[in-house]
Amino acid sequence: MSEPFLSIRDLGRAFGGLKAVDGVSADIARGELVGLIGPNGAGKTTLFNLISGFTPPSSGEVHFKGRRIDGLKPDEIARAGIGRTFQNLRIFPNMSVFDNVSVGAIGAERIGMLSAFTGRRGVSERISQRGLAALQAVKLIDDAEELAANISYGKRKYLEIARALAMQPDLLILDEPAAGLNETETKALADFIASLHADGMTIILVEHDMKLVMSICRRIIVLASGRKIADGTPAEVKADPAVLEAYLGGDDA
Amino acid sequence: MDYYLQQLVIGLSLGMVYALVAIGFTLIFGVLNVVNFAHGEIYTIGAFAGLLLFTSFAPPLAAVILIVLAVGALAGVGLERLAFRPFRRFTDEASLKSRAMREATLMSSLALSIVAREAIELIFGSQFQAVPFKLLLNNPIKLGPVTIVDGDLVILGTSALMLFALQYVLKHTRVGLSIRAVSNNALGARYVGIDTNRTIAWTFAVGSAMGAVAGILVGLYYGAIFPAMGFSPGIKAFVAMVMGGLSSIPGAVVCAMIIGVSEALSTIFVASVWQDLVAYAFLIVTLIFFPRGIFGGVRERV
Repeated sequence: MSEPFLSIRDLGRAFGGLKAVDGVSADIARGELVGLIGPNGAGKTTLFNLISGFTPPSSGEVHFKGRRIDGLKPDEIARAGIGRTFQNLRIFPNMSVFDNVSVGAIGAERIGMLSAFTGRRGVSERISQRGLAALQAVKLIDDAEELAANISYGKRKYLEIARALAMQPDLLILDEPAAGLNETETKALADFIASLHADGMTIILVEHDMKLVMSICRRIIVLASGRKIADGTPAEVKADPAVLEAYLGGDDA
Repeated sequence: MDYYLQQLVIGLSLGMVYALVAIGFTLIFGVLNVVNFAHGEIYTIGAFAGLLLFTSFAPPLAAVILIVLAVGALAGVGLERLAFRPFRRFTDEASLKSRAMREATLMSSLALSIVAREAIELIFGSQFQAVPFKLLLNNPIKLGPVTIVDGDLVILGTSALMLFALQYVLKHTRVGLSIRAVSNNALGARYVGIDTNRTIAWTFAVGSAMGAVAGILVGLYYGAIFPAMGFSPGIKAFVAMVMGGLSSIPGAVVCAMIIGVSEALSTIFVASVWQDLVAYAFLIVTLIFFPRGIFGGVRERV
């Protein structure tokens, strides 16, 4: 059997005595759109941070495209082909929208001595092409010259996704992309994520908005208290007694 | 009237020199939120390196400037390696810009600056170096009623060229984009694949290269090359950075020009030994009335 696209093996992370993520395993195939849900404090964001290198795991392994990536630095993991967005945005507020995505486009490549000072317009036409394509995908092309700090909150969310897309990642992980959006905006975002998926992007989505996750993900992983308690289709997950218990005990559903 | 004009030209070239030094401070503050106290020594190293080149190979001025640029860049990278990187063991944003980081690197850069200064003194002695007369950039040029020296033109020209080059680098190259990205949001930059350590090293290279060139230009202008020469322009440039709002390059350049021109014009009213007070007065006024820089609250970064 060939190596899975992304393989999380018995991954764990303890903060002092608290096991934020406790022995989670999952394989994700190329082209999947997987929702990751769970009550508050279930360890969803920690799991994301373990995959993307923000925090090193205390135990377990992560393999991506046949290469072991746990313990690598965040920028190395990004260059390995994993793009991510953040719950609280981390865009570059004092740079133009286009420069924001350009950073995504150059980040994917390591800067060599010689290429370091080559312009992105002249020699590296490819870089700006990539940036423009990413802006086109999120319909921000008209705001390209605008300062990122001056565009609306909703647009900044898309900008962060565009910046990750400009890296041309193989896997995109989105941390609560709908947080702070109203219902109409959430619906539009769901359509956009679904269209990315339809174009072949592998996506893992952490989201509180259950409706969003249920509507677009064909596979859902449920975490509670750092453990994986369910993994299946929306229908299977909804009917799972362990999931019901975790959510009824929690404060949201 | 002619005297005022003459002082104005002197002030502009002085201001340009402060600007070149201030840019290094500002760039480094932008990416790390720390003040690099060894920046003045980079300026000194630039002057000594230039002088050594002149006295041993006698190359043309343009070649010396290019080589000093490279020497400054290397010195900057070495400085970062020795005084800054060892304290950056944790990579999350909180510790990258934390107070502990700031205080540790403040001390380490200060320590390294003392070591560098003393080392130069040990090798060359503490007195003024003999700058061959023909190298001095003080041949008078008459421009109508005003007499300036060729050094003013060289300083203004070289600085303007370097400022434009810097703008190009920051706006249009990979290094520049990375520097601005790290300066805006270091963690966000890491997650799109920017190697922050490498980018910080580049930042030191670019900032220090400019500071080193400022050193050799002033050395040839005044004929004063000595181990402690970096102290005074370092302070002035620091004041310019604070006045400009800490991380704004245009702000720092404009404020450096204001300081330079004010210093030169102050000699009309007071003896020139008091001239250094001008920068300190600006600093105090800024800190009391414009704590976020004189361009008011606009946190514009590089």
